[in-house]
Amino acid sequence: MAPVIEARGLTHEYPDGTTAIRDVDLTVDRGERVAVVGANGSGKSTLQLALGGLVEPTAGAVTYFGETSDAEAVRDRLGVLLQDPDDYLFNTTVREDIEYGPAQLGQPRETARRRVDALAAELGLEDLLDRPPFRLSGGEKQRAAVASVLAFDPEVLLLDEPFGAVDARYRERIRESVTDRDGTLLWFTPSLDAVPEVAERVVLVSRNGSIAADGPVREILTDRTLLRDHGLRPPATVRLFEGLVEREKLPLTVEAARRYLRRDE
Amino acid sequence: MTGALARTVESISGALRAVFAAEQVAAEDGFLQGRDPRVTLLSLGGFALAVMLARTPAVSLGLGVVTVALALLSSVPLRELLARSAVVPAAAAVVVLPQAVLLPGDALASVLGVAVTDAGVAYVVRFTLRVWVGVALLSLLTVTTPFSALVAAMRELRVPVALVWVLAVTYRYLFLFFDELQRLVLARDSRTTDSAGARSEWRDAKRLAGTFLLRTLDRGERVGRGMRARGGARPPSPYGRPRAVDGYDYALSACAVAAVVGAGVVRWLP
Ligand SMILES: Nc1ncnc2c1ncn2[C@@H]1O[C@H](COP(=O)(O)OP(=O)(O)OP(=O)(O)O)[C@@H](O)[C@H]1O
Ligand SMILES: [Mg+2]
Repeated sequence: MAPVIEARGLTHEYPDGTTAIRDVDLTVDRGERVAVVGANGSGKSTLQLALGGLVEPTAGAVTYFGETSDAEAVRDRLGVLLQDPDDYLFNTTVREDIEYGPAQLGQPRETARRRVDALAAELGLEDLLDRPPFRLSGGEKQRAAVASVLAFDPEVLLLDEPFGAVDARYRERIRESVTDRDGTLLWFTPSLDAVPEVAERVVLVSRNGSIAADGPVREILTDRTLLRDHGLRPPATVRLFEGLVEREKLPLTVEAARRYLRRDE
Repeated sequence: MTGALARTVESISGALRAVFAAEQVAAEDGFLQGRDPRVTLLSLGGFALAVMLARTPAVSLGLGVVTVALALLSSVPLRELLARSAVVPAAAAVVVLPQAVLLPGDALASVLGVAVTDAGVAYVVRFTLRVWVGVALLSLLTVTTPFSALVAAMRELRVPVALVWVLAVTYRYLFLFFDELQRLVLARDSRTTDSAGARSEWRDAKRLAGTFLLRTLDRGERVGRGMRARGGARPPSPYGRPRAVDGYDYALSACAVAAVVGAGVVRWLP
């Protein structure tokens, strides 16, 4: 089956001359869950926009579903969630915002209505549906934005740091909502702690906007030197158990660490 | 003195939101909220057209009374509606004020040696009144009907897509504009002490103006991407809020037609 996203030599230079991403080759297959990680300013958001067809690449191209290089032709299959929810929510009420995507993409009204209600329940937005988005708290805005991208049920999700300001309970809900689907997921984040729970593959973006490493979660998240060279550090559990346990057994999540300790007793 | 600038921006953006954004009112049950959005759009548009046609204060006043009645029937707080929609006519009044002395007529009084004429004053009053009623009607429309429902109604009424598009985008960017300004002023205020004098306030205002332009353009671009990501490159097509058209809808439409015809007759008949 053709890859969902195939980027070749993707480069983007902003008008002021900043080259934010450089010669990126990236292939994502159907159903893959990929975390794109990198330091602040490394170019994750720019890469997300370029992959989502929302900025014109200066060089290179992206092929979607092996069919087309025109993102607008597959707009209803790509769910691109921008980093700042204020850029994403612009309707007069939260409900209108969540309905905006399904309506623009021509989905039936009834389907949309049902999905809005289900998402509102899942992400705790029931009481906020008739409020204007600009009156919400930071975390509430982020939840509303996540609901807005999930509303039209895209095949591929490209989420830029979707839970920066979200509290623990809803982080868990968001994580479940995006991993329990059959679709493909690209999760862009500068913080590695949640990565093992969402992704199975990690793409590391270096400070100059090129891809420094691409591999299974364990391989990359346990490579302290590689991560340090790119302004990151391993998840807390890895740091805790480093040197005490051989690398293949390093627990990546708190759950895994607990299991490991239990077994050791 | 940091307050002056911040307060101005706050009150302008607050007023704009109150005039043009359906906060809670649209959700409440009321006369206009219960109408089919197409009927509300056409009828209030009709009344506004009548206001534009009117040249006699009595007709403008009559339409003002209609506006007040509709607001009361729709549980829109009257005082707020009038106070907030007063911002635009107040500005308009300042613009046409010179007409009070420029139009020839009987002198009513003399200000600094210049005669204020009766025709001049009548003109200013008429003009301001018309603008006020017009803006109040527009405000009534947007606070009683969700914006997406209005856009859907326009599409159903076969208003040209390009026009709907422009209206939808303008509406959104209007808020964006003031939102950005408010953020910028807030950011500045949070780092300025109260003791800064009027001079530094002015200097800051000039610098802010430059930054503001760049920031608004940038933000506009990013919001544009957010829209495009969700199919915003296609013609606006929100879900409508269709309702069964009932007797009240017909009655309201009939009143609007009567108002337009009446205003036209009064204006053009000798
Ligand atoms: N509109 C712009 N114009 C010029 N340069 C920009 C623009 N947006 C971003 N940049 C620059 O491009 C580079 C990559 O930015 P980008 O936002 O993609 O980084 P990021 O990896 O998402 O960072 P973060 O983790 O902070 O979100 C940075 O050096 C940034 O300063
Ligand atoms: Mg970013």
